[in-house]
Amino acid sequence: MVTKTEEIQLNQLENQVENGGGGVWEYLCLVRKLKVRRSEIVLKHGLSILNDSGKRSALGPDEWTLYEQVAIAAMDCQSLGVAQVLKKKFPESKRVGKLEALLLEAKGMWEEAEKAYTSLLEDNPLDQVIHKRKVAMAKAQGKSSLAIEHLNKYLEVFMADHDAWRELAEIYVSLQMYKQAAFCYEELILTQPTLPLYHLAYADVLYTIGGLENLIAARKYYAATIDLTGGKSTRALLGICLCGSAIAQISKGRNKEDKDMAAPELQSLAATALEREYKQKAPAKLNLLTSALRNLKIA
Amino acid sequence: MGSNGELKYEISQNAYIKLVLHSLRHKTAAVNGVLVGRISPKDDGVVEISDSVPLFHSNLALLPPLEISLIMIEEHYVAQGLSIVGYFHANERFDDVELCGVAKNIGDHISRYFPQAPILLLNNKKLEALSKGKERSPVMQLCVKDASKNWRVVGADGGSKLLLKEPSANVVLSDYISSEKWKDVTDVDDHLDDVTKDWLNPGLFN
Repeated sequence: MVTKTEEIQLNQLENQVENGGGGVWEYLCLVRKLKVRRSEIVLKHGLSILNDSGKRSALGPDEWTLYEQVAIAAMDCQSLGVAQVLKKKFPESKRVGKLEALLLEAKGMWEEAEKAYTSLLEDNPLDQVIHKRKVAMAKAQGKSSLAIEHLNKYLEVFMADHDAWRELAEIYVSLQMYKQAAFCYEELILTQPTLPLYHLAYADVLYTIGGLENLIAARKYYAATIDLTGGKSTRALLGICLCGSAIAQISKGRNKEDKDMAAPELQSLAATALEREYKQKAPAKLNLLTSALRNLKIA
Repeated sequence: MGSNGELKYEISQNAYIKLVLHSLRHKTAAVNGVLVGRISPKDDGVVEISDSVPLFHSNLALLPPLEISLIMIEEHYVAQGLSIVGYFHANERFDDVELCGVAKNIGDHISRYFPQAPILLLNNKKLEALSKGKERSPVMQLCVKDASKNWRVVGADGGSKLLLKEPSANVVLSDYISSEKWKDVTDVDDHLDDVTKDWLNPGLFN
Protein backbone atom coordinates (compact mmCIF):
# COMPACT_ATOMS: atom_id res chain seq x y z
CA MET A 1 0.00 0.00 0.00
CA VAL A 2 1.17 3.41 -0.92
CA THR A 3 0.63 6.66 0.96
CA LYS A 4 -0.68 9.77 -0.75
CA THR A 5 2.69 11.58 -0.53
CA GLU A 6 4.44 8.58 -1.98
CA GLU A 7 1.90 8.46 -4.79
CA ILE A 8 2.40 12.13 -5.59
CA GLN A 9 6.17 11.70 -5.59
CA LEU A 10 5.85 8.68 -7.85
CA ASN A 11 3.57 10.47 -10.29
CA GLN A 12 5.88 13.50 -10.39
CA LEU A 13 8.90 11.33 -11.19
CA GLU A 14 6.86 9.43 -13.72
CA ASN A 15 5.87 12.62 -15.52
CA GLN A 16 9.45 13.80 -15.47
CA VAL A 17 10.73 10.56 -16.90
CA GLU A 18 8.06 10.31 -19.56
CA ASN A 19 8.75 13.82 -20.75
CA GLY A 20 12.48 13.27 -21.13
CA GLY A 21 13.45 15.11 -17.97
CA GLY A 22 15.80 12.43 -16.63
CA GLY A 23 15.62 10.90 -13.16
CA VAL A 24 14.99 7.44 -14.58
CA TRP A 25 17.10 5.61 -12.02
CA GLU A 26 15.34 7.32 -9.09
CA TYR A 27 11.98 6.47 -10.62
CA LEU A 28 12.92 2.82 -11.03
CA CYS A 29 14.20 2.64 -7.45
CA LEU A 30 10.99 4.18 -6.14
CA VAL A 31 8.84 1.75 -8.12
CA ARG A 32 10.90 -1.09 -6.68
CA LYS A 33 10.63 0.22 -3.14
CA LEU A 34 6.87 0.82 -3.26
CA LYS A 35 6.24 -2.39 -5.18
CA VAL A 36 3.80 -0.72 -7.55
CA ARG A 37 2.85 -2.09 -10.92
CA ARG A 38 3.98 0.32 -13.66
CA SER A 39 5.35 -2.25 -16.04
CA GLU A 40 5.08 -0.43 -19.35
CA ILE A 41 7.00 2.58 -18.16
CA VAL A 42 9.57 0.49 -16.28
CA LEU A 43 10.14 -1.60 -19.37
CA LYS A 44 10.55 1.36 -21.69
CA HIS A 45 12.97 3.33 -19.56
CA GLY A 46 14.73 0.39 -17.93
CA LEU A 47 15.59 -0.97 -21.35
CA SER A 48 16.93 2.38 -22.47
CA ILE A 49 19.46 2.25 -19.62
CA LEU A 50 20.34 -1.40 -20.19
CA ASN A 51 20.85 -0.97 -23.90
CA ASP A 52 23.29 1.86 -23.38
CA SER A 53 26.58 0.30 -22.23
CA GLY A 54 27.82 3.57 -20.76
CA LYS A 55 24.82 4.00 -18.51
CA ARG A 56 24.86 0.32 -17.67
CA SER A 57 28.40 0.23 -16.35
CA ALA A 58 27.68 3.35 -14.33
CA LEU A 59 25.25 1.25 -12.30
CA GLY A 60 27.86 -1.19 -11.00
CA PRO A 61 26.41 -4.15 -9.05
CA ASP A 62 22.96 -2.57 -9.23
CA GLU A 63 22.95 -3.59 -12.88
CA TRP A 64 21.64 -7.04 -11.98
CA THR A 65 18.83 -5.63 -9.85
CA LEU A 66 17.79 -3.56 -12.82
CA TYR A 67 17.89 -6.60 -15.09
CA GLU A 68 15.59 -8.39 -12.68
CA GLN A 69 13.18 -5.46 -12.46
CA VAL A 70 13.04 -5.00 -16.22
CA ALA A 71 12.66 -8.75 -16.83
CA ILE A 72 9.61 -8.88 -14.57
CA ALA A 73 8.17 -5.77 -16.20
CA ALA A 74 8.77 -7.29 -19.62
CA MET A 75 6.91 -10.43 -18.63
CA ASP A 76 4.02 -8.36 -17.31
CA CYS A 77 3.80 -6.58 -20.66
CA GLN A 78 4.09 -9.87 -22.52
CA SER A 79 7.39 -8.77 -24.14
CA LEU A 80 8.64 -12.31 -23.74
CA GLY A 81 11.41 -11.89 -26.30
CA VAL A 82 12.95 -9.18 -24.16
CA ALA A 83 12.53 -11.22 -20.98
CA GLN A 84 14.33 -14.19 -22.49
CA VAL A 85 17.30 -12.20 -23.71
CA LEU A 86 17.73 -10.82 -20.24
CA LYS A 87 17.38 -14.26 -18.69
CA LYS A 88 20.43 -15.47 -20.65
CA LYS A 89 22.62 -12.89 -19.00
CA PHE A 90 21.98 -14.08 -15.47
CA PRO A 91 24.35 -16.24 -13.44
CA GLU A 92 23.03 -19.42 -11.79
CA SER A 93 21.07 -18.77 -8.61
CA LYS A 94 17.77 -19.30 -6.80
CA ARG A 95 16.65 -15.81 -7.66
CA VAL A 96 17.14 -16.67 -11.31
CA GLY A 97 15.18 -19.87 -10.80
CA LYS A 98 12.26 -17.74 -9.68
CA LEU A 99 12.53 -15.62 -12.81
CA GLU A 100 12.63 -18.70 -15.00
CA ALA A 101 9.47 -20.00 -13.38
CA LEU A 102 7.91 -16.55 -13.82
CA LEU A 103 8.77 -16.72 -17.52
CA LEU A 104 7.01 -20.06 -17.84
CA GLU A 105 4.02 -18.53 -16.13
CA ALA A 106 4.05 -15.51 -18.46
CA LYS A 107 4.07 -17.86 -21.45
CA GLY A 108 0.99 -19.59 -20.08
CA MET A 109 2.84 -22.90 -19.59
CA TRP A 110 0.95 -23.57 -16.38
CA GLU A 111 2.02 -27.13 -15.63
CA GLU A 112 5.70 -26.44 -16.12
CA ALA A 113 5.46 -23.29 -14.03
CA GLU A 114 3.59 -25.19 -11.32
CA LYS A 115 6.37 -27.83 -11.24
CA ALA A 116 9.05 -25.14 -11.11
CA TYR A 117 7.37 -23.34 -8.22
CA THR A 118 6.76 -26.55 -6.30
CA SER A 119 10.42 -27.52 -6.51
CA LEU A 120 11.47 -24.03 -5.50
CA LEU A 121 9.13 -24.30 -2.53
CA GLU A 122 10.71 -27.57 -1.44
CA ASP A 123 13.95 -25.70 -0.92
CA ASN A 124 12.35 -22.59 0.53
CA PRO A 125 8.99 -23.48 2.06
CA LEU A 126 8.74 -20.04 3.58
CA ASP A 127 9.20 -18.01 0.42
CA GLN A 128 6.24 -15.66 0.38
CA VAL A 129 6.70 -14.53 -3.22
CA ILE A 130 6.49 -18.06 -4.58
CA HIS A 131 3.37 -18.84 -2.56
CA LYS A 132 1.80 -15.75 -4.03
CA ARG A 133 2.78 -16.75 -7.56
CA LYS A 134 0.78 -19.93 -7.07
CA VAL A 135 -2.26 -17.86 -6.12
CA ALA A 136 -1.68 -15.58 -9.10
CA MET A 137 -1.48 -18.57 -11.44
CA ALA A 138 -4.75 -19.96 -10.13
CA LYS A 139 -6.36 -16.56 -10.64
CA ALA A 140 -4.94 -16.23 -14.15
CA GLN A 141 -6.43 -19.57 -15.13
CA GLY A 142 -9.80 -18.56 -13.74
CA LYS A 143 -9.62 -21.18 -10.99
CA SER A 144 -11.07 -18.99 -8.27
CA SER A 145 -11.71 -21.69 -5.69
CA LEU A 146 -8.15 -22.91 -6.06
CA ALA A 147 -6.87 -19.36 -5.66
CA ILE A 148 -8.96 -18.98 -2.50
CA GLU A 149 -7.70 -22.30 -1.16
CA HIS A 150 -4.06 -21.38 -1.73
CA LEU A 151 -4.53 -17.93 -0.28
CA ASN A 152 -6.24 -19.28 2.83
CA LYS A 153 -3.40 -21.74 3.38
CA TYR A 154 -0.91 -18.93 2.91
CA LEU A 155 -2.68 -16.77 5.46
CA GLU A 156 -2.66 -19.57 8.03
CA VAL A 157 1.12 -19.21 8.03
CA PHE A 158 1.57 -15.54 7.18
CA MET A 159 -1.44 -14.08 8.95
CA ALA A 160 0.13 -10.65 9.24
CA ASP A 161 0.23 -10.11 5.50
CA HIS A 162 -2.32 -7.34 5.06
CA ASP A 163 -2.08 -7.22 1.30
CA ALA A 164 -2.93 -10.90 1.16
CA TRP A 165 -6.01 -10.40 3.33
CA ARG A 166 -7.08 -7.57 1.02
CA GLU A 167 -6.51 -9.69 -2.05
CA LEU A 168 -8.60 -12.47 -0.53
CA ALA A 169 -11.37 -10.04 0.37
CA GLU A 170 -11.43 -8.68 -3.17
CA ILE A 171 -11.58 -12.17 -4.67
CA TYR A 172 -14.50 -13.00 -2.37
CA VAL A 173 -16.29 -9.79 -3.36
CA SER A 174 -15.84 -10.51 -7.05
CA LEU A 175 -17.45 -13.92 -6.48
CA GLN A 176 -20.22 -12.26 -4.44
CA MET A 177 -19.17 -14.22 -1.32
CA TYR A 178 -19.78 -11.18 0.85
CA LYS A 179 -19.82 -12.84 4.27
CA GLN A 180 -16.37 -14.27 3.70
CA ALA A 181 -15.15 -10.89 2.44
CA ALA A 182 -16.55 -9.32 5.61
CA PHE A 183 -14.49 -11.74 7.70
CA CYS A 184 -11.31 -10.63 5.90
CA TYR A 185 -12.02 -6.97 6.52
CA GLU A 186 -12.75 -7.75 10.16
CA GLU A 187 -9.26 -9.25 10.46
CA LEU A 188 -7.77 -6.18 8.81
CA ILE A 189 -9.64 -3.75 11.05
CA LEU A 190 -8.51 -5.70 14.13
CA THR A 191 -4.86 -5.47 13.17
CA GLN A 192 -4.87 -1.96 11.66
CA PRO A 193 -7.79 -0.09 13.26
CA THR A 194 -6.60 3.33 12.19
CA LEU A 195 -6.72 2.71 8.44
CA PRO A 196 -9.96 4.21 7.09
CA LEU A 197 -9.72 2.09 3.92
CA TYR A 198 -10.69 -1.07 5.78
CA HIS A 199 -13.59 0.53 7.66
CA LEU A 200 -14.93 1.85 4.37
CA ALA A 201 -14.60 -1.46 2.56
CA TYR A 202 -16.21 -3.30 5.48
CA ALA A 203 -19.11 -0.86 5.50
CA ASP A 204 -19.60 -1.32 1.75
CA VAL A 205 -19.68 -5.10 2.18
CA LEU A 206 -22.12 -4.94 5.11
CA TYR A 207 -24.44 -2.68 3.14
CA THR A 208 -24.28 -5.08 0.21
CA ILE A 209 -25.23 -8.05 2.40
CA GLY A 210 -28.18 -6.01 3.66
CA GLY A 211 -30.65 -6.45 6.49
CA LEU A 212 -31.35 -4.00 9.29
CA GLU A 213 -28.52 -5.03 11.61
CA ASN A 214 -25.94 -4.92 8.86
CA LEU A 215 -27.15 -1.53 7.67
CA ILE A 216 -26.89 -0.10 11.16
CA ALA A 217 -23.40 -1.57 11.52
CA ALA A 218 -22.43 -0.27 8.07
CA ARG A 219 -23.45 3.20 9.09
CA LYS A 220 -21.20 2.97 12.15
CA TYR A 221 -18.25 2.03 9.97
CA TYR A 222 -18.97 4.80 7.50
CA ALA A 223 -19.01 7.14 10.49
CA ALA A 224 -15.68 5.70 11.65
CA THR A 225 -14.24 6.33 8.18
CA ILE A 226 -15.41 9.92 8.28
CA ASP A 227 -13.82 10.27 11.68
CA LEU A 228 -10.52 8.78 10.53
CA THR A 229 -10.38 10.87 7.36
CA GLY A 230 -11.44 14.14 8.95
CA GLY A 231 -14.62 14.21 6.90
CA LYS A 232 -12.88 13.95 3.55
CA SER A 233 -14.23 10.64 2.37
CA THR A 234 -16.93 11.26 -0.24
CA ARG A 235 -17.67 7.55 -0.36
CA ALA A 236 -18.30 7.40 3.38
CA LEU A 237 -20.52 10.48 3.35
CA LEU A 238 -22.57 8.98 0.54
CA GLY A 239 -22.63 5.71 2.45
CA ILE A 240 -24.24 7.41 5.44
CA CYS A 241 -26.98 8.81 3.23
CA LEU A 242 -27.58 5.46 1.56
CA CYS A 243 -27.75 3.70 4.93
CA GLY A 244 -30.15 6.26 6.35
CA SER A 245 -32.45 5.82 3.41
CA ALA A 246 -32.31 2.03 3.47
CA ILE A 247 -32.84 1.86 7.23
CA ALA A 248 -35.80 4.21 7.03
CA GLN A 249 -37.35 2.03 4.36
CA ILE A 250 -36.98 -1.14 6.38
CA SER A 251 -38.27 0.45 9.58
CA LYS A 252 -41.38 1.87 7.93
CA GLY A 253 -44.40 0.70 9.87
CA ARG A 254 -42.27 -0.71 12.66
CA ASN A 255 -42.36 0.51 16.22
CA LYS A 256 -40.81 3.75 17.39
CA GLU A 257 -37.43 2.39 18.59
CA ASP A 258 -36.69 1.15 15.14
CA LYS A 259 -37.81 4.42 13.62
CA ASP A 260 -35.21 6.20 15.73
CA MET A 261 -32.63 4.14 13.94
CA ALA A 262 -33.14 6.42 10.98
CA ALA A 263 -30.93 9.02 12.74
CA PRO A 264 -31.98 11.90 10.50
CA GLU A 265 -29.46 14.31 12.04
CA LEU A 266 -26.56 12.16 10.92
CA GLN A 267 -27.98 11.99 7.45
CA SER A 268 -28.48 15.73 7.13
CA LEU A 269 -24.98 16.38 8.44
CA ALA A 270 -23.56 14.09 5.79
CA ALA A 271 -25.75 15.69 3.13
CA THR A 272 -24.56 19.16 4.10
CA ALA A 273 -20.93 18.09 4.02
CA LEU A 274 -21.42 16.58 0.58
CA GLU A 275 -23.14 19.67 -0.76
CA ARG A 276 -20.33 21.84 0.54
CA GLU A 277 -17.74 19.64 -1.12
CA TYR A 278 -19.51 19.61 -4.47
CA LYS A 279 -20.14 23.34 -4.37
CA GLN A 280 -16.45 23.88 -3.88
CA LYS A 281 -14.96 21.31 -6.19
CA ALA A 282 -17.58 20.14 -8.69
CA PRO A 283 -20.23 22.85 -8.94
CA ALA A 284 -21.47 21.49 -12.25
CA LYS A 285 -22.55 18.34 -10.47
CA LEU A 286 -24.15 20.03 -7.46
CA ASN A 287 -27.67 19.86 -8.87
CA LEU A 288 -27.30 16.17 -9.58
CA LEU A 289 -26.09 15.56 -6.06
CA THR A 290 -28.94 17.53 -4.50
CA SER A 291 -31.61 15.68 -6.44
CA ALA A 292 -29.90 12.36 -5.74
CA LEU A 293 -29.97 13.13 -2.00
CA ARG A 294 -33.59 14.20 -2.25
CA ASN A 295 -34.29 10.93 -4.05
CA LEU A 296 -32.73 9.01 -1.16
CA LYS A 297 -34.72 10.81 1.51
CA ILE A 298 -37.98 10.06 -0.25
CA ALA A 299 -36.97 6.51 -1.15
CA MET B 1 -43.68 -6.38 -31.61
CA GLY B 2 -41.20 -9.24 -31.70
CA SER B 3 -39.49 -10.82 -28.71
CA ASN B 4 -36.22 -9.48 -27.37
CA GLY B 5 -34.30 -11.65 -29.80
CA GLU B 6 -35.58 -9.59 -32.71
CA LEU B 7 -34.64 -6.23 -31.30
CA LYS B 8 -31.75 -4.39 -32.86
CA TYR B 9 -29.28 -2.35 -30.83
CA GLU B 10 -27.55 0.56 -32.47
CA ILE B 11 -24.60 1.98 -30.58
CA SER B 12 -23.17 5.41 -31.30
CA GLN B 13 -19.47 5.92 -31.87
CA ASN B 14 -18.90 7.92 -28.71
CA ALA B 15 -20.74 5.47 -26.47
CA TYR B 16 -18.87 2.54 -28.01
CA ILE B 17 -15.39 4.04 -27.98
CA LYS B 18 -15.69 5.40 -24.44
CA LEU B 19 -16.37 1.92 -23.04
CA VAL B 20 -13.55 0.23 -24.94
CA LEU B 21 -11.06 2.95 -23.99
CA HIS B 22 -12.13 2.57 -20.36
CA SER B 23 -11.32 -1.15 -20.42
CA LEU B 24 -7.97 -0.39 -22.00
CA ARG B 25 -7.15 2.08 -19.29
CA HIS B 26 -7.58 -0.65 -16.67
CA LYS B 27 -6.16 -3.62 -18.54
CA THR B 28 -5.54 -5.75 -15.49
CA ALA B 29 -8.99 -5.36 -13.95
CA ALA B 30 -12.62 -6.09 -14.69
CA VAL B 31 -14.51 -2.91 -15.57
CA ASN B 32 -18.12 -2.02 -16.19
CA GLY B 33 -20.34 0.77 -17.39
CA VAL B 34 -23.92 1.64 -18.27
CA LEU B 35 -25.48 2.28 -21.65
CA VAL B 36 -27.66 5.34 -22.07
CA GLY B 37 -30.26 5.91 -24.73
CA ARG B 38 -33.86 5.26 -25.70
CA ILE B 39 -36.13 3.28 -28.01
CA SER B 40 -35.79 4.80 -31.46
CA PRO B 41 -38.64 7.21 -32.11
CA LYS B 42 -38.58 6.08 -35.74
CA ASP B 43 -38.69 2.32 -35.21
CA ASP B 44 -39.64 0.68 -31.96
CA GLY B 45 -37.69 -2.44 -32.91
CA VAL B 46 -34.45 -0.51 -32.47
CA VAL B 47 -32.80 0.59 -29.24
CA GLU B 48 -30.54 3.60 -29.75
CA ILE B 49 -27.54 3.62 -27.43
CA SER B 50 -26.41 7.21 -27.74
CA ASP B 51 -24.07 7.48 -24.79
CA SER B 52 -22.36 5.47 -22.06
CA VAL B 53 -20.91 6.08 -18.62
CA PRO B 54 -17.90 4.07 -17.43
CA LEU B 55 -18.54 3.00 -13.85
CA PHE B 56 -15.87 1.10 -11.91
CA HIS B 57 -12.52 -0.61 -12.18
CA SER B 58 -12.44 -2.19 -8.72
CA ASN B 59 -14.88 -4.02 -6.46
CA LEU B 60 -17.61 -4.08 -9.07
CA ALA B 61 -19.81 -6.23 -6.86
CA LEU B 62 -20.35 -3.71 -4.07
CA LEU B 63 -23.75 -2.03 -3.85
CA PRO B 64 -23.27 1.43 -2.39
CA PRO B 65 -21.16 2.96 -5.20
CA LEU B 66 -23.41 1.29 -7.78
CA GLU B 67 -26.62 2.58 -6.24
CA ILE B 68 -25.42 6.15 -6.00
CA SER B 69 -24.10 6.14 -9.59
CA LEU B 70 -27.33 4.81 -11.06
CA ILE B 71 -29.29 7.52 -9.25
CA MET B 72 -27.00 10.31 -10.43
CA ILE B 73 -26.74 9.02 -13.99
CA GLU B 74 -30.51 8.63 -14.41
CA GLU B 75 -30.99 12.09 -12.92
CA HIS B 76 -28.59 13.61 -15.43
CA TYR B 77 -29.93 11.99 -18.56
CA VAL B 78 -33.64 12.22 -17.84
CA ALA B 79 -33.44 15.89 -18.73
CA GLN B 80 -32.43 14.86 -22.25
CA GLY B 81 -35.23 12.36 -22.59
CA LEU B 82 -32.77 9.48 -22.19
CA SER B 83 -32.40 6.73 -19.61
CA ILE B 84 -30.16 3.82 -18.67
CA VAL B 85 -30.86 1.18 -21.28
CA GLY B 86 -28.20 -1.46 -20.70
CA TYR B 87 -24.97 -2.62 -19.12
CA PHE B 88 -21.40 -3.11 -20.29
CA HIS B 89 -18.90 -5.48 -18.72
CA ALA B 90 -15.29 -6.38 -19.47
CA ASN B 91 -13.87 -9.42 -17.71
CA GLU B 92 -10.51 -9.39 -15.96
CA ARG B 93 -9.01 -12.20 -18.00
CA PHE B 94 -8.37 -12.15 -21.74
CA ASP B 95 -10.10 -15.37 -22.68
CA ASP B 96 -12.97 -15.21 -20.21
CA VAL B 97 -16.18 -15.04 -22.23
CA GLU B 98 -18.55 -15.93 -19.41
CA LEU B 99 -21.11 -13.54 -17.97
CA CYS B 100 -20.37 -13.51 -14.26
CA GLY B 101 -22.95 -13.26 -11.47
CA VAL B 102 -22.33 -9.56 -10.94
CA ALA B 103 -22.98 -8.72 -14.59
CA LYS B 104 -26.18 -10.74 -14.60
CA ASN B 105 -27.41 -9.14 -11.37
CA ILE B 106 -26.79 -5.64 -12.60
CA GLY B 107 -28.31 -6.53 -15.95
CA ASP B 108 -31.38 -7.88 -14.16
CA HIS B 109 -31.70 -4.72 -12.12
CA ILE B 110 -31.50 -2.47 -15.18
CA SER B 111 -33.97 -4.57 -17.12
CA ARG B 112 -36.51 -4.07 -14.36
CA TYR B 113 -36.68 -0.45 -15.47
CA PHE B 114 -35.96 -0.99 -19.16
CA PRO B 115 -37.06 -4.49 -20.16
CA GLN B 116 -35.17 -4.52 -23.46
CA ALA B 117 -31.83 -3.83 -21.73
CA PRO B 118 -28.91 -5.80 -23.17
CA ILE B 119 -25.57 -6.69 -21.63
CA LEU B 120 -22.58 -5.97 -23.83
CA LEU B 121 -19.51 -8.03 -23.02
CA LEU B 122 -16.09 -6.96 -24.29
CA ASN B 123 -14.61 -9.47 -26.72
CA ASN B 124 -10.85 -9.36 -26.24
CA LYS B 125 -10.00 -11.48 -29.26
CA LYS B 126 -11.88 -9.09 -31.54
CA LEU B 127 -10.26 -6.13 -29.81
CA GLU B 128 -6.85 -7.62 -30.54
CA ALA B 129 -7.80 -8.21 -34.18
CA LEU B 130 -8.69 -4.55 -34.41
CA SER B 131 -5.05 -3.51 -34.35
CA LYS B 132 -4.46 -5.70 -37.39
CA GLY B 133 -7.21 -3.85 -39.22
CA LYS B 134 -9.26 -7.00 -39.63
CA GLU B 135 -12.34 -6.15 -37.60
CA ARG B 136 -15.53 -4.57 -38.96
CA SER B 137 -18.08 -5.53 -36.36
CA PRO B 138 -18.23 -4.17 -32.81
CA VAL B 139 -15.67 -5.71 -30.46
CA MET B 140 -18.46 -6.63 -28.06
CA GLN B 141 -20.74 -9.58 -27.56
CA LEU B 142 -24.46 -8.91 -27.27
CA CYS B 143 -26.37 -10.73 -24.53
CA VAL B 144 -30.14 -10.53 -24.06
CA LYS B 145 -32.66 -12.07 -21.72
CA ASP B 146 -34.61 -14.92 -23.23
CA ALA B 147 -38.18 -15.95 -22.49
CA SER B 148 -37.15 -17.87 -19.36
CA LYS B 149 -35.36 -14.76 -18.05
CA ASN B 150 -31.86 -16.17 -18.55
CA TRP B 151 -29.09 -14.17 -20.16
CA ARG B 152 -27.73 -15.66 -23.35
CA VAL B 153 -25.25 -14.58 -25.98
CA VAL B 154 -26.94 -13.58 -29.22
CA GLY B 155 -25.58 -15.63 -32.10
CA ALA B 156 -21.95 -16.18 -32.95
CA ASP B 157 -22.17 -13.23 -35.24
CA GLY B 158 -24.43 -11.12 -33.05
CA GLY B 159 -23.18 -8.41 -35.38
CA SER B 160 -26.52 -8.38 -37.11
CA LYS B 161 -28.33 -7.39 -33.92
CA LEU B 162 -25.68 -5.10 -32.47
CA LEU B 163 -24.78 -2.41 -34.95
CA LEU B 164 -22.30 0.40 -35.00
CA LYS B 165 -24.22 3.52 -35.88
CA GLU B 166 -21.20 5.06 -37.61
CA PRO B 167 -19.49 2.44 -39.80
CA SER B 168 -16.11 4.10 -39.30
CA ALA B 169 -16.26 3.67 -35.52
CA ASN B 170 -13.62 0.91 -35.47
CA VAL B 171 -11.24 3.02 -37.53
CA VAL B 172 -11.62 5.92 -35.14
CA LEU B 173 -11.22 3.54 -32.20
CA SER B 174 -7.95 2.16 -33.62
CA ASP B 175 -6.65 5.68 -34.00
CA TYR B 176 -7.47 6.52 -30.43
CA ILE B 177 -5.81 3.34 -29.22
CA SER B 178 -2.59 4.23 -31.06
CA SER B 179 -2.61 7.68 -29.55
CA GLU B 180 -3.22 6.17 -26.08
CA LYS B 181 -6.43 8.16 -25.66
CA TRP B 182 -7.50 5.73 -22.97
CA LYS B 183 -5.41 7.67 -20.52
CA ASP B 184 -8.03 10.44 -20.59
CA VAL B 185 -11.10 8.41 -19.68
CA THR B 186 -12.59 9.06 -16.23
CA ASP B 187 -15.08 6.77 -14.52
CA VAL B 188 -17.37 7.01 -11.49
CA ASP B 189 -14.71 5.27 -9.37
CA ASP B 190 -12.33 8.15 -10.14
CA HIS B 191 -15.08 10.67 -9.37
CA LEU B 192 -15.82 9.12 -5.98
CA ASP B 193 -12.13 9.37 -5.11
CA ASP B 194 -11.93 12.95 -6.35
CA VAL B 195 -15.13 14.78 -7.23
CA THR B 196 -13.33 17.13 -9.60
CA LYS B 197 -13.05 14.21 -12.04
CA ASP B 198 -16.09 14.13 -14.29
CA TRP B 199 -17.61 10.77 -15.27
CA LEU B 200 -19.36 12.50 -18.14
CA ASN B 201 -15.95 12.85 -19.82
CA PRO B 202 -16.83 16.12 -21.54
CA GLY B 203 -14.22 17.09 -24.09
CA LEU B 204 -12.92 13.53 -24.42
CA PHE B 205 -13.63 13.47 -28.13
CA ASN B 206 -12.89 17.08 -28.98
